[in-house]
Amino acid sequence: IMLKGMTRLISSVHKAKHGEQHEGQHYNISFQDLKTVFSHGLPPRFVMQVKTFNEACLMVRRPALELLHYLKNTNFAHPAVRYVFYGEKGTGKTLSLCHSIHFCAKQDWLILHIPDAHLWVKNCRDLLQSTYNKQRFDQPLEASTWLKNFKTANEHFLSQIKVQEKYVWNKRESTEKGSPLGEVVEQGIMRVRNATDAVGIVLKELKRQSSSGIFRLLVAVDGVNALWGRTTLKREDKSPIAPEELAFIYNLRKMVKNDWQGGAIVLTVSQTGSLFKPRKAYLPQELLGKEGFDALDPFIPILVSNYNPKEFESCIHYYLENNWLQHEKAHTEEGKKELLFLSNRNPGQLERLCAYL
Amino acid sequence: PALAAAAVKAARGWSGLLLGVRSVVLQLLGLTQVRWSRYGPEYQDPQIDKAYYRKPSAELNEEEKYERELRKTPVIKAAPATKTSSVFEDPVISKFTNMMMKGGNKILARSLMTQTLETVKRKQFEKYHAASAEEQATTECNPYTIFQQALKNCEPVIGLVPMLKGGHFYQVPVPLADQRRHFLAMKWMITKLSRELLEAFHKRGPVVNRKHDTHKTAEANRARAHYRWW
Repeated sequence: IMLKGMTRLISSVHKAKHGEQHEGQHYNISFQDLKTVFSHGLPPRFVMQVKTFNEACLMVRRPALELLHYLKNTNFAHPAVRYVFYGEKGTGKTLSLCHSIHFCAKQDWLILHIPDAHLWVKNCRDLLQSTYNKQRFDQPLEASTWLKNFKTANEHFLSQIKVQEKYVWNKRESTEKGSPLGEVVEQGIMRVRNATDAVGIVLKELKRQSSSGIFRLLVAVDGVNALWGRTTLKREDKSPIAPEELAFIYNLRKMVKNDWQGGAIVLTVSQTGSLFKPRKAYLPQELLGKEGFDALDPFIPILVSNYNPKEFESCIHYYLENNWLQHEKAHTEEGKKELLFLSNRNPGQLERLCAYL
Repeated sequence: PALAAAAVKAARGWSGLLLGVRSVVLQLLGLTQVRWSRYGPEYQDPQIDKAYYRKPSAELNEEEKYERELRKTPVIKAAPATKTSSVFEDPVISKFTNMMMKGGNKILARSLMTQTLETVKRKQFEKYHAASAEEQATTECNPYTIFQQALKNCEPVIGLVPMLKGGHFYQVPVPLADQRRHFLAMKWMITKLSRELLEAFHKRGPVVNRKHDTHKTAEANRARAHYRWW
């Protein structure tokens, strides 16, 4: 009953060969990749869809193709180029980011993926004073979950990369120079108090060593405007905390600067999780603020817009193939016209409409 | 019931009469009017259906031509905001959302409705994938058919009405009109929607049990049936 129609690419087509002619078609992601690379990257509604259909299919779209073209032609001797996906709510920025992450994972890059930077600046239960620097704050829970996901994504790299410095955790434990990076990650996962510091060490080492050429590094941050905005976290005396006083944010800002070679930085700005920003704001200038824009300047902006008619048809066709549109009128021309009108070809809206039809 | 309906309609037409006179007349007939309407009898109901207007004039027969002429007079009632000419609309679903609404919060009621339909659909899909080949043909994935079938399974055929006679309240079995049946079914269903809808569809579950209980008590009180005087 599940027929592979014209909108599906044969999964043997290697991701590197995604070209202009594939625009509008869906391609499959294997379950193996889902568990390793995307253990923490996909938007929640997409995860539900994957569970219901028993398969993960992404649509190949123009912004992602553009980015893949740039990534294929990067010169690794030059400093890392920053690409920013921006667009209105629901147009597909996060999924385009995931598409490029999947491409790089297949090309065997090291993926540093922060699923949503907004999660770090709000709703944090426990803030500890940082062990490394008394001025800053640690977030043990988030850091340890992130380390676990990082470990599953990049298992094979963790044994190859060696740390170049000695790190002392406390009186009894320390990591020697030359030991694999996996040990630092293990230390962070086991000793939750030092998790944020472990994250900082990982970032520092990766940045230093990516210029040497052993591996290529892809830094992917979703919702990067959280790094320069305001936080909702407060100290015990109810005074607000600025983002740079969070150790994780401080280290991440250093990562996103383009003073290292041997990789690329792909970012999205999103309003959905952002704090204190108006709902209609979607341009990078509005969402990043002056500070953020100056820090990220220069970057290459890539606009992610609503579906064009061909992509819309393809999406409807995909839903029909999976029997997701159950309403009898949805198959007719009238129904399609109405869906087009109601969703304004916005991918997120279309998905929500089709969910209950 | 037909007589009463005609009487109510006629009474509605006496818009000039005093309220007191009207209520006395209605009480004599055994009915009290619950909802007033600001519209007089000459107002027609709005016609939402797109297909009605698209029929070319050559195809109309006599009565339809007469209706069209009638429509050209300017007195038509305003259509409510929730009735759309959308292809996807369902009067049953709209009625149900209205019943779920509390304090005029239609946004919440509608989002609850859509979430219920979505959860029903996802659950059915999971069952479909887990089932074998023959069962796949029988599992129903369309949440709308599930909904309508579930409501039909829940409608009680006969209901109980408490009647005061000789100082005691007796439960008297009474045949129910269609609308009352739909109303009772929906009212009983509103708690814990999606699971109950699915179970009602398969004719198990608390709501259908409640229907069966009503039927049983109606049977038990059969002796008191002659208390009914309409």
